[in-house]
Amino acid sequence: MKKQIKILIVDDFSTMRRIIKNLLRDLGFNNTFEADDGNTALPMLKNGDYDFVVTDWNMPGMQGIDLLKEIRKDQALCHIPVLMVTAEAKREQIIEAAQSGVNGYIIKPFTAATLKEKLEKIFERIQ
Amino acid sequence: MSEQQESLISLDKAKELVTLLECGQVEMANEIITNIQNENSDALFEKVGVLTRQLHDSLEDFQLDTRIESLANDEFPDARERLNYVIEMTDKAANRTMDAVEACLPIADSFNDRIQQVMPNWKSLMSRDLQLGQFKELCKLLDDFLQVSVSDADSLRQYLTEILMAQDFQDLTGQMIRRVINLVQEVEVKLVEMLTMFGEASKPLNKSADEIKKVSGIEAEGPIMNANERVDVVDGQNDVDDLLSSLGF
Repeated sequence: MKKQIKILIVDDFSTMRRIIKNLLRDLGFNNTFEADDGNTALPMLKNGDYDFVVTDWNMPGMQGIDLLKEIRKDQALCHIPVLMVTAEAKREQIIEAAQSGVNGYIIKPFTAATLKEKLEKIFERIQ
Repeated sequence: MSEQQESLISLDKAKELVTLLECGQVEMANEIITNIQNENSDALFEKVGVLTRQLHDSLEDFQLDTRIESLANDEFPDARERLNYVIEMTDKAANRTMDAVEACLPIADSFNDRIQQVMPNWKSLMSRDLQLGQFKELCKLLDDFLQVSVSDADSLRQYLTEILMAQDFQDLTGQMIRRVINLVQEVEVKLVEMLTMFGEASKPLNKSADEIKKVSGIEAEGPIMNANERVDVVDGQNDVDDLLSSLGF
């Protein structure tokens, strides 16, 4: 797992962004950036050669699921792994996310161990 | 047809009507029919009158209920402010806690670093294999360590107290939320009163609300509060993992 990869954390609550940022730092990922919804995230992704996206689902403006679809539609971005970290727990939603090309799905509230496990799994698949 | 149903014309009157028509007394026959019609429409008018009065009274009561006015003008904006305050308080508490945690982490790290520094000489000492020079070095390191530890322990205690104190949001936001719950309850009662007043009209509305709910299967819903009562949601991360692996993940 390359620790210097550039990660974008997308969540409308600054507290949750901070928690994820801290957990990622604990795992050795220091190169993290933040956005508060899909509309803010998308231009950042287009201009910023990001390697990884962690996103919430339920946000004002552009929701996480739509951000995921936009990423998969864009030739320049479609290779970026997307990890969904959300309180959305309906089966239909998880299936929708899977079919839209999500790489991992974590249900809030979550633990540091779950985040670590899912990240490792995603990187394992990519390499 | 049920037996209780009243016929619009009595048997006697009908017989009389037939006799009159048979005798060719059309004028009198028409009079009988007109009388019967008037009787019926009088009853109808009376019923409409009663209903109109009821509706009028209900609307009057409704308007006179100043509570509704104060709900709309004062209490709802107030509730909105309270809920915003809850978001603010929880945000502040979370940040206060995280500030303290972030300040504790380097202390834990430096604690670990210093132990690692002392360890080699300490191990030698324990296995009676320490030169005098090394012993002096060990004493110096230990002395530094002890001195720093005193102030570090003090800082840790302060940060932990800070984390403890930050939890007071639970009490304060709890009180705020309870007031909003009471308000919602009161509005619920008023709404039920309104629905009873306009009884029938509410039924089709209910149905369409249900239909709207059904359509939006992937609409964001936020945290699920009664997960074990619902079949359409997963129960924790293990369920998610199972579902995803069943999809070939």
